[in-house]
Amino acid sequence: MTATIDFARRFARNRAALAGFALLLVVIAFAITAPWLFPRPPLRIVGRPEVWPFLSWRFPLGTDSLGRDIAAMVAHGARTTLLIGLFASLTATLIGVTIGATAAYFGGWVDEALMRFTELFQTIPNLIFVLTIVLILGQKIAYITLAVGIVTWTPIARLTRAEFLTLRDREFVQACRSMGMGDVRIMLREILPNALPPVIVLASLVVAGAILFESAVSFLGLGDPDVSSWGRLIGDGRTLIRTSWYICAVPGIAIMLTVLALNLIGDGLNDALNPKLRDR
Amino acid sequence: MALLSVRSLSVEYRTARGTVRAVDDVSFDVLPGETVALVGESGCGKSTLGKAVIRLVPACDGRIAIDGTDITDLPPRALNAVRPKVQMIFQDPYGALNPRHSVGEIIGQPLSVAGWSRADIAARVAALMDQVALPREAARRYPHEFSGGQRQRIGIARALALRPKLIICDEPVSALDVSVRAQVINLLKDLQAATGIAYLFISHDLSVVEHVADRLLVMYLGRIVEGGRAREIWERPAHPYTRALLAAAPVADPKLARSRARSVLEGELPSPLDPPPGCAFHTRCPLAQPRCRTERPPLRALPGGRSVACHYDLLGAAAPVDRAVPIRASA
Amino acid sequence: MAPLLEIDRLSVSLFTRAGVLPAVDGLSLRVDAGETVAIVGESGCGKSLSALAVMRLLPEPPARIVGGAVRLAGRDLVTLSEGAMRRVRGKEVSMIFQDPMTSLNPVVPIGAQLIEAIRQHNPISHRAAQARAVALLEKVRIPDAARRLDDYPHQLSGGMSQRVMIAMAIACEPKVLIADEPTTALDVTIQAQILKLMQELQAASNMAVVIITHDLGVVAETADRVAVMYAGRKVEEAPVEALFERPLHPYTRGLLGATPSPARFGGRLADIAGTVPSLAELPAGCAFAQRCPLAFERCRLERPALSAPLPHRLAACFATEKEFSRDGAPVGS
Repeated sequence: MTATIDFARRFARNRAALAGFALLLVVIAFAITAPWLFPRPPLRIVGRPEVWPFLSWRFPLGTDSLGRDIAAMVAHGARTTLLIGLFASLTATLIGVTIGATAAYFGGWVDEALMRFTELFQTIPNLIFVLTIVLILGQKIAYITLAVGIVTWTPIARLTRAEFLTLRDREFVQACRSMGMGDVRIMLREILPNALPPVIVLASLVVAGAILFESAVSFLGLGDPDVSSWGRLIGDGRTLIRTSWYICAVPGIAIMLTVLALNLIGDGLNDALNPKLRDR
Repeated sequence: MALLSVRSLSVEYRTARGTVRAVDDVSFDVLPGETVALVGESGCGKSTLGKAVIRLVPACDGRIAIDGTDITDLPPRALNAVRPKVQMIFQDPYGALNPRHSVGEIIGQPLSVAGWSRADIAARVAALMDQVALPREAARRYPHEFSGGQRQRIGIARALALRPKLIICDEPVSALDVSVRAQVINLLKDLQAATGIAYLFISHDLSVVEHVADRLLVMYLGRIVEGGRAREIWERPAHPYTRALLAAAPVADPKLARSRARSVLEGELPSPLDPPPGCAFHTRCPLAQPRCRTERPPLRALPGGRSVACHYDLLGAAAPVDRAVPIRASA
Repeated sequence: MAPLLEIDRLSVSLFTRAGVLPAVDGLSLRVDAGETVAIVGESGCGKSLSALAVMRLLPEPPARIVGGAVRLAGRDLVTLSEGAMRRVRGKEVSMIFQDPMTSLNPVVPIGAQLIEAIRQHNPISHRAAQARAVALLEKVRIPDAARRLDDYPHQLSGGMSQRVMIAMAIACEPKVLIADEPTTALDVTIQAQILKLMQELQAASNMAVVIITHDLGVVAETADRVAVMYAGRKVEEAPVEALFERPLHPYTRGLLGATPSPARFGGRLADIAGTVPSLAELPAGCAFAQRCPLAFERCRLERPALSAPLPHRLAACFATEKEFSRDGAPVGS
């Protein structure tokens, strides 16, 4: 319990991180309350097209080229975007941690093979890889999430491997081996909890990266047509960028703020979880 | 019957710069209830030997037997049945305990791995904490809240959990302050008196070893160069390296320190990657002869349970000992 | 006779989140030319910080000198500007550290590091400095010195690296050498070599040596006088033989009782109950009272000052004062 309070206190010391956390909470709040704030389906046409933001109470953020409420689409899109970010990051973390931990713990040819496999994924240009997977599997939100997860696991694998390598030779791990503890239990219950902090920091940054990937995919028109994510909104407003540029700008700002919030939180987590900075 | 029996054990490992023979053809026994100390300087292989004995590192040659059972090639499951008999305590009180587990969890781990029930584990953990003089409420706290000496006690409690017959102590007090060292050494001795446990005590600090060892094994570059009863070796070392070690060890007595003739051993420790041919010590030995450069001396038995690996050991001649210390009988 | 180095009521505090910690509290010590003074204590007693304070090498946040003076040949080092202090370091007072592997720059050959140290205080040519560097390496008994100039620290063993550090420290013939745990990280036989080397160098140049250590064996082997520190304060000072023969302060007695020595072979080591109080929670009276077998009421309320129960000896202990005032010997600093 005190460890958690301690952690929270250290996190709170970083003002920027607190601001990022607050910002993220706002975004999450919108995502959760979207169905109540904007009860009508966001993709319904509800008004005149191309109404500028801040001009009317009915459409606080204006309408797009077809007359859909941008505020509604952004709010509903928040949910999509965050979920994609979260699940893609979880997928990447699961894959990355498993590969990194296995490579480090067993060493030898297992390590070699897994590292070559990791490098293979690293050499393929990310965006192209994502687009390829989406085109093969189909333009559904689940596949997009999977694709982004598949592309972003490599840094997590490398980091996990580095942490495991350091921890594997620690004396408390030797103590566990000398009492006959099995390898899997050592990896999961002894080493992993100690290896996680930097991985968590990286995972928070991966969420940001995943959001940007999804936005890029949707912007290019290859996203899920039934879902209004922020990237898609930017994409739809592409044609009107010279006149009604707000259609692109509003969701763009939303993405930027969310990614910024996640980066600040990542920094804060790093400070809070890094024992060396504990007494500064 | 010997509790631990090691025959011709060798451990090699490969580094980027070549193969290192960290332990080279080592044989010794540990009898129930006794303390055997392994002493030597860096690169002598004592820590590696300690780990090899419980198969934390693989041996490339030789045999290890615990309580009569040959464990050298035992498969993991069978090995786990024998493991409770030999446990280990480590040097670094900060690295030897998982920072994410509570003290109670750490001490109870061997029991949990062995399949004990929760209630039984809790009871045994409480008893163990009493045995090492840790307050019972410490079980809920985390390692970082404790001092080095207390963490070492936690490590000792963990090692005692399954009632081992032998504990391998790998430099258990080297990282502790002087006054705390005394506490831990006294604790280890008390535990031995109460439970008849044996220790394989690995240390580079001769003065610490003086206080705990019944028998002594001196190692140099992976080989045992001398063995025998500790007191006899202090008074009359047989191997020139042992004599040099004793002469070099600082003595906490200014009068004695200044009066004894100090011949300081020159030269550097050879690299384990490239050990000298013949006797490993010949490059620094004041008594080296041509034979020492070519022929490796075997560990041969001397009267009185002693052994030495030297062609021209000191017990043959009436060699003066630099450490002219009269060892008074203990109270 | 004025001492060569005089530490006069030096106080160093650590400014941390937990508050201001009195890491060194009013330390006074004098060192004369040619003598070896040992500062002995366990972790956290302030001995290393004292040494860094003399050299003005304290890590500025969180540590700072908050009181006292450090006089080297009469001149107060605490008040010097950084520029003036730089001219003192290496030239008049030098320091060697515990772990030679981390004290030498790993990416610069040792010859270059030595030459840099030499030329810091001597405006001579590179070639002349190089010749001097070779001579220094020979002085510290590194075989094949000329060739070794191009070696990198990682190519040297622990003992060799420590010799190089000593060479760098004595390069400009300082009057005082401070050695902070110089042999703790070394093997026993190498430790003996280094201690012997230091003694030879000292005898040749009449340099004063302040050796900081936790190892009473090293103290017995090398020191002329000993100061014992506990929780930031000096609690006892004595000539070395007197200290070991008749320790006055209960902490010193405890330390000696806990140190294995031939006289106590096989017996039980005396241990000091309890642990060192944290600097953030120092008790009101004597810092050692809660662990002291001789403590009485006054010890818990009042801090004992250093007194001289015997000639040339200092101890900060009310029990000791009581014992000696009963004997009729004068008490008072």
